[in-house]
Amino acid sequence: MIEFKNVTKEYAPNLFKEAKVALQNVSFEVKAGEFVTLCGRSGAGKTTILKLISCEEKPTSGTVMFDDTNTSDVKKSDAYLIRQKIGFIFQDYKLLSYKTVYENVAYALEAFDFNEKLVKDEVMQVLELVGLENKANCLPKELSGGEKQRVSIARALIHRPEIILADEPTGNLDPYHTRDIIKILLKINEGGATVILSTHDKETVNSLHKRVITLENGRIIRDEEEGVFSL
Amino acid sequence: MKKRGFSPCKNMWNFLKKIFKSGWDGFMRQGFLTFATSLVIFIAVVLGAGLFFFQGGVAYLTQQIRDKIDISVSFKSDVPRDTILQIREDLTKLDQVKKVDYISPEDAYNTFVEAHQGDQYMEALGLLSANPFLPSLRIQTKEPSQYKQVSEFLAKDEYKDLINEVNDYKRGVMIEKLGEITKSVQLLGILLTVFLSLIAIIVTFNTLRLSIYSQKEEIEIMRLVGAKNGFIRGPFLVQGGLCGLFASIISFMLLTIVLFVLNTQMTTLFMGFDCLAFFKSNILGIMLLELVVGLGLGLLSSYFAVRKYLRD
Repeated sequence: MIEFKNVTKEYAPNLFKEAKVALQNVSFEVKAGEFVTLCGRSGAGKTTILKLISCEEKPTSGTVMFDDTNTSDVKKSDAYLIRQKIGFIFQDYKLLSYKTVYENVAYALEAFDFNEKLVKDEVMQVLELVGLENKANCLPKELSGGEKQRVSIARALIHRPEIILADEPTGNLDPYHTRDIIKILLKINEGGATVILSTHDKETVNSLHKRVITLENGRIIRDEEEGVFSL
Repeated sequence: MKKRGFSPCKNMWNFLKKIFKSGWDGFMRQGFLTFATSLVIFIAVVLGAGLFFFQGGVAYLTQQIRDKIDISVSFKSDVPRDTILQIREDLTKLDQVKKVDYISPEDAYNTFVEAHQGDQYMEALGLLSANPFLPSLRIQTKEPSQYKQVSEFLAKDEYKDLINEVNDYKRGVMIEKLGEITKSVQLLGILLTVFLSLIAIIVTFNTLRLSIYSQKEEIEIMRLVGAKNGFIRGPFLVQGGLCGLFASIISFMLLTIVLFVLNTQMTTLFMGFDCLAFFKSNILGIMLLELVVGLGLGLLSSYFAVRKYLRD
């Protein structure tokens, strides 16, 4: 489903930042339905991998294949076609601040389906799934961190994506909410979606018993089927 | 790659409904941003309307000046009225001539009396036993510079014995000067209009750009969740348009109130230019101008500001 072949990503220097090599000659493959954890210290290259998959960034060299598409060939204005196959979950939730919980979730579906009735049914269904059906009319500022993350998950799930990219989704949450979110991600994976989780939380990684790719300084140092956190 | 998802043709109505609803929600919920944007557009719209009035005022003033520019031809006292009226007819046929008024000695006397009630000139007039005023023609040309052609016409031999005096040579310099002033005022008006309009456009565009910059992250989120550029841009255009519409309506209402309440003072201030009458006779034009300026600035500024974040 996703294949990285000898991918290197360098960020050019600018007025405020020095040149940086984020990934060096990285190769791996993720099959459909897999649950993969990307683990490593801050700056190891986890987020860069997710950005390359979602066409936010293009590799400096090497190829990133999404299904049969080389993401380097995708124009910025066509990147939405890739992103409509992806569900994003972010550490800082990235909710639209002036839209309600319902509207935030609906937005991802409305982006390519305008049947009002269908949108309403689907949104309420997914809000029920994450336990937020009673908060549908709240604005993000009225929610706790855990609730915001559940909205973010609901938004990621609403269009039934082929793959979920979760970038440190538990980074801002307490252990109780962290367990909650991980449970939901596992459930999504059981439902058939591919999940790529980026984290540096040892407990989370060790509790999953899933494939772990460990990164250090932009290189893959370990790729184990039932891996554990070891840095 | 196969493009999946909605087809704009099939779902155009639903698409537009979503775009308008989303834009309306943004307009209503982002109170401070809406207020700040509308305020700047309001200033631009008021400036636009002000410049329209300014152009009207300039036209009024130049007309006033032109009306004052005339050639006065006095005839000898023994020239019969019919002869003078015939000359008037001949003058009216000239292309350059806008208007010719016949002033009889009696009319000239009455006008003088009205203008000099109780002053020393009246005392001097009282000493005379007969009406000293001669019959005359007051000629207005279409352009101030055309007085020379009219003077040449009057210099023909057939009129020589009838005319007492043509005062164009004495007033020539003044006429030319007034003509120059009129042109300068018009040019200044145009330059000022262009300059202030440019400032209004730049200020509005930059304010909207800043307000959309503050939503840069939101645009990024919209892109990440798979929204097409048109679906992202649409609500911003609607929001910008609504701000423009709101600013236009408020500006038109305020203008109407101000003109009805303060017209007397404004007429005095603007040297007799009746702003309310100008407003009434141009009401549709002013309404349209304010709408075009408000909506245009709102839509265009939003379009260019969002484009920055959606460009390839």
